[in-house]
Amino acid sequence: MKKDITAIVDGIVAAKGKTVNKVIPVLQAIQQEFNYLPSAALERVCETTEISPSRIFSVSTFYTQFRHQEQGKHIISVCVGTACHVKGAMLVYDAFRRALKLKDGCDTDADSLFTLTKVACLGCCTIAPVVQIDDITYGMLTTEKVPEIIQDFLSNRQDNTSVRKHQPKHTANLKDEIRIGLGSCCVASGSSAVRDELEKTLENNSIAVNVKQVGCVGICNQVPMIEIIKDNKSTAIYTKVMAEEVRKIVLKHFKSGNIFNEAGNRLLNYIEDLVVDHFPVSSRKYSPEKRDTPVSEYLNRQINIATEHRGIIRPLDFEEYMKLDGFVALKKSLFEISPGDITAIIKHSGLRGRGGAGFPTGVKWELVKSAVSDEKYIICNGDEGDPGAFMDRMLLESYPFRIIEGMIIAAIATAATQGLFYIRAEYKLAVKQITAALEICRKHNILGENILNSNFSFDITLFEGAGAFICGEESALIASVEGDRGFPSLRPPYPSEKGLWGKPTLINNTETFSMVSWIIRNSAEAFNNTGTLHSKGTKVFALAGKVKRGGLIEVPMGTTVREIVEEIGGGIANGRMFKAVQIGGPSGGCIPASMADIPIDFESLSSAGAMMGSGGLVVLDDTDCMVDIARYFLSFTQDQSCGKCTFCRIGTRKMLEILNKICSGKGSEQDIVALEQLALKTQKGSLCGLGKTAPNPVLSTLSYYRNEYEAHIHGSCPGGKCKDLIKYEITEDCIGCTKCAQRCPADAIAAKPHELHLIVQEKCIKCDSCREVCPVNAVILK
Amino acid sequence: MIKLKIDNIEITVPQGSTLLKAAAAIGIQIPVMCHNEKIPNHASCMVCAVKNKQKGEFIPSCEVKATEGMDIDCNTEEVTAFRKDALELLLSDHVGDCEAPCRISCPSFMDIPRMNRLIAQGNFKKALEIVKEEIALPLILGYICSAPCENACRRKQMEGAVSICQLKKFTALEDSKSGSYYLPEKLPETNKKVAVIGAGIAGLSATFHLLKMGYSCSVFEKNAKAGGSLLNLAEEVLPAEILHIETAILRQFGAEFIFNTAVNALDIKKDFDAVLIASGENTKDAALDFSGDGFSTVHEGIFACGSVVKTVKMAVKLVAQGKQAAAEVDAFLSGKSQQYAVQFNSKFAKLKEEEIATYLMESTAEDRIDPSQGRLDGFTAIEAMAEAQRCLRCDCRKASTCKLRIRSDQYGAQQSKYKIAERKTIRKYFQQDILVYEPEKCIKCGLCIKILETHNDLTGFAYIGRGFDMHIAVPFDKSLQLAIAGAAAECIAACPTAALADFNPEENH
Ligand SMILES: Cc1cc2nc3c(=O)[nH]c(=O)nc-3n(C[C@H](O)[C@H](O)[C@H](O)COP(=O)(O)O)c2cc1C
Ligand code: SF4
Ligand code: SF4
Ligand code: SF4
Ligand code: SF4
Ligand code: SF4
Ligand code: FES
Ligand code: FES
Ligand code: FES
Repeated sequence: MKKDITAIVDGIVAAKGKTVNKVIPVLQAIQQEFNYLPSAALERVCETTEISPSRIFSVSTFYTQFRHQEQGKHIISVCVGTACHVKGAMLVYDAFRRALKLKDGCDTDADSLFTLTKVACLGCCTIAPVVQIDDITYGMLTTEKVPEIIQDFLSNRQDNTSVRKHQPKHTANLKDEIRIGLGSCCVASGSSAVRDELEKTLENNSIAVNVKQVGCVGICNQVPMIEIIKDNKSTAIYTKVMAEEVRKIVLKHFKSGNIFNEAGNRLLNYIEDLVVDHFPVSSRKYSPEKRDTPVSEYLNRQINIATEHRGIIRPLDFEEYMKLDGFVALKKSLFEISPGDITAIIKHSGLRGRGGAGFPTGVKWELVKSAVSDEKYIICNGDEGDPGAFMDRMLLESYPFRIIEGMIIAAIATAATQGLFYIRAEYKLAVKQITAALEICRKHNILGENILNSNFSFDITLFEGAGAFICGEESALIASVEGDRGFPSLRPPYPSEKGLWGKPTLINNTETFSMVSWIIRNSAEAFNNTGTLHSKGTKVFALAGKVKRGGLIEVPMGTTVREIVEEIGGGIANGRMFKAVQIGGPSGGCIPASMADIPIDFESLSSAGAMMGSGGLVVLDDTDCMVDIARYFLSFTQDQSCGKCTFCRIGTRKMLEILNKICSGKGSEQDIVALEQLALKTQKGSLCGLGKTAPNPVLSTLSYYRNEYEAHIHGSCPGGKCKDLIKYEITEDCIGCTKCAQRCPADAIAAKPHELHLIVQEKCIKCDSCREVCPVNAVILK
Repeated sequence: MIKLKIDNIEITVPQGSTLLKAAAAIGIQIPVMCHNEKIPNHASCMVCAVKNKQKGEFIPSCEVKATEGMDIDCNTEEVTAFRKDALELLLSDHVGDCEAPCRISCPSFMDIPRMNRLIAQGNFKKALEIVKEEIALPLILGYICSAPCENACRRKQMEGAVSICQLKKFTALEDSKSGSYYLPEKLPETNKKVAVIGAGIAGLSATFHLLKMGYSCSVFEKNAKAGGSLLNLAEEVLPAEILHIETAILRQFGAEFIFNTAVNALDIKKDFDAVLIASGENTKDAALDFSGDGFSTVHEGIFACGSVVKTVKMAVKLVAQGKQAAAEVDAFLSGKSQQYAVQFNSKFAKLKEEEIATYLMESTAEDRIDPSQGRLDGFTAIEAMAEAQRCLRCDCRKASTCKLRIRSDQYGAQQSKYKIAERKTIRKYFQQDILVYEPEKCIKCGLCIKILETHNDLTGFAYIGRGFDMHIAVPFDKSLQLAIAGAAAECIAACPTAALADFNPEENH
């Protein structure tokens, strides 16, 4: 065994390198190999590289990705991101613990088959709550589905590759096309299975139609979605398609070349004539022509700049990208306008950084441009650590060429020499797409020496972030690329002056870069026509939570919260009341429904105590507890604090402790005051943006929902979320079906057929199973 | 050169100066903790914070460089409050006793663990010296002290408190048998005279300390011998012999006893520079008004302590009052400001079950020893050494140099401010008898990591984890010896707290 490790590690070191900055890639490769970091492997690394024991430990224990203990064969990652949290992720987590019979303090089951972990946002928020078992993602979970899912995983894991390379067989000059989205949400919702079924159906029926795998279609909680294009026109969109239904859908639109199937087709038409609205069972057909359908409502309010050609474009189809004006802006930047012109256009467009703070992009480019150095770097920040956001992931997965183009243009404008993508390792598909896209660009001389025969040379590499929210902060990001813990450093000096390896460095957010080519191609005015006085253009949001339709949306700056929630999102699901939106994730705040007419732009949000942040937009309804929301974010930030400075390291933890106390009903008036004071101190005393903004969720809920805090002090949780303050009870409506009794994992309900059931409070563990299963809603929360 | 304003003073400093240095150049001392001039490191503790008035931001002066036109506040109430906040947060995550709980609960603040260590080593003479720094009458107290210290002793949780009182008695008895009493060194003669009225516990205690401070002392006692209320005690409680020895020691030390003489403070004041009334419960005089600050009366130069002011039952409290009153008399006579404020103490409640073994690493697992010759005669030398070894060494190894303690004291920080969830569990690691590492005293400054990085041959330290749970540990579970070896002294000197401390600080001083 020892010998084995030595050989493997030596191989990895040979491939990755021996310098200190290779520590993260080396660790990632080791973990890939062993599923954790065996101590012997790390010792070997220290023996054979410049990496010291101190460094390897400091780094490997900093990032969430790395595991030091041997793990079960399969890893179950329960997403506890914001959207999943508000949809009951913790209940699901507890259900997994029960199903795997995990003992307290132990995360691996007795057979070492599964290890259970929590992760922050898998980027599939629209199908929350989400769980990933190895590479397979399951969405829309409930506690009762947990045992089935474990079973399903065990029986299916062989043939479940997340994304397969597909070469459509019938591509020659076809007018007809079937489009299927293969973004992460889509895949998680089963679109690979749908795609497989689609191909099988086409094959079996000898139908000549082009199957086109497009990136994220934006309407993530309606996926898998199939769009039928006939005679170059969209004729139908099917949402929430299940594999079993594919055959029926295909055969409805395309005639089978196989006589055998005729009978089946006739039957199909017959069924459809009967109930159009309910066919097929779970999928609905919308005609995009009709303006008042939910899909068009969802899509029509949006303007696509970062997401231009959404649902049409194939992420890695270089020719198609070219056809759709791809690299036109690059050519213009290389051959028609000067670097100074580029910066001037970007500045004039009013584009502000989409990474959170909204710093004017043109100004930043000027700073880097004017810094004197023979080497300069461009970094695309794709760390996206906000646990309720997935825009950057979608952009990286679906529009890799556009982002690359933006980066090259930035490089021309600033005379940069090297580019770098910094992408979270959890974003497997994004990493894969970008890696492939970079390779394609090199092949076409879009990257490399003398790009497109100009005298400009530039290339881009990719660095996989190892899981630390703080590494989205630019100075921490740089530290991690240099092979260190993600400790931010004091600014000034800013990266534009002294960045990666001490050289001037331009760091922009993924979305910022994805707007660049559009602006250069269409003019600054075309961009700044849209938006508000100080916030121009559009903004991409990850809309999730309690809305009917969630997904990736791109709307003009200045669109109101109400328009997003009610029109695009279709209002609140399940007939509940709209309570608030949480914007900006852990650094942001809540905007109550009463203020829903606030236009979304940098300034308005800040003045309302929220923040644009990354653009996560989680909608909350009346069953959400605002104290719990504050506690949720604080538990995230205190866990993600790098630990360097006093106020953040200790302040955030102490705030969480006070919130825990309040949520458990043991708080007092003084605790609310103490919480508020500590929040203000932490804001004032922290050294970087994480600590400075971590108190925002607390301060904003305190200012709008102080009454809820007070309710907790007096023993009740108005949203019915805080376990210590709620009770499950069965009302007179009970029909005695015994379902709850069968489900209850704690034996708190005795089965009494046809009688009124009763919950023994002392035994109840508040897992919500009974309420989920009751067919007549007789189980209520008190 | 760069021009800026610090505390409204315009100054010019070289490019690249930190604000800390800039302030120092005009004599403004900003406190630091995580900063060390010789070691390049990041700012973290925020105790050195100053306010950038233009931006309204609080910034660490040890790292932020002065820039043109800056306007900095170092000493406003806001800045002071900010530093206190930082300290209070650090203290909320700090587990340790600056002074041992026994010492804190001793009204006379005797350095008990230090005494215990010396007894354990067989150095009884030095042990008595430590005792006598705070307690003038150890022999008497050895018989009659109600020993609140033993009630607070951490060892109480395991096989009974250390027999502190018996140990102290033992050192005093050893001394009394030695033939030449230990007499502490006196400060230079002041040529000032103090009259002490009453030779009871408080008066005798004050006399001892006044003599030590270089005053000449006349003790007026209305009875024929010293002792005051002690004279009422039965022989099997306090043998007369003991009182006799203690008086003899004082006389040898220079006290002048004037027995059978009842005097009135107001009358004799003219003959003395100061008068201290310690005449006990039954000698109240209507002409005297005791309502002054501390131990002073409304009458200039006249002080009072003990039961004459307000009845005091506990003997050790009278001993303590005598000491404090002597300090006040000294302050009055020397014109020094009186300094008897209690220093900041980091504290924590009971030891957790799992901490007991940790604490026992520095002790023995023995049961509390009962003196074989009976409680009145006390321990034999062997018993005393064995009992003293039971002491857990609760006091901090850097109690007098720790920056966290000094700053907390300076800023009046309260440790209990953020007491919400359960505290962390104490751990201790030893590098032989060279160094002790106590992670729960670490403020995560990283100085030790940086120092060890410069020693390529050593395993060094690493940060483990992040956020609140971040701590410092040796990679690969290697020993402290491999991690630090010869760099121990360097790390100990740099560590701002006692997280890294000399195993035996006293011997090296
Ligand atoms: C705690 C923290 C986390 C951050 N996370 C991200 C992130 O995930 N992605 C991002 O683009 N910017 C993030 N930022 C902002 C970056 O530091 C930086 O400002 C941004 O990448 C600049 O790009 P922009 O000018 O295009 O917005 C974060 C900042 C902080 C303080
Ligand atoms: S504010 Fe928090 S994340 Fe930022 S440096 Fe301080 S401890 Fe680290
Ligand atoms: S599931 Fe509902 S109806 Fe059925 S027994 Fe339970 S409470 Fe009654
Ligand atoms: S480290 Fe400092 S503050 Fe902590 S117990 Fe020791 S002296 Fe007190
Ligand atoms: S064990 Fe020693 S130091 Fe600790 S309280 Fe008891 S006597 Fe004092
Ligand atoms: S142990 Fe190291 S990190 Fe901790 S306070 Fe001491 S020097 Fe700083
Ligand atoms: S996928 Fe769970 S919150 Fe995003
Ligand atoms: S931050 Fe300056 S001394 Fe600690
Ligand atoms: S000697 Fe201090 S209380 Fe007894």
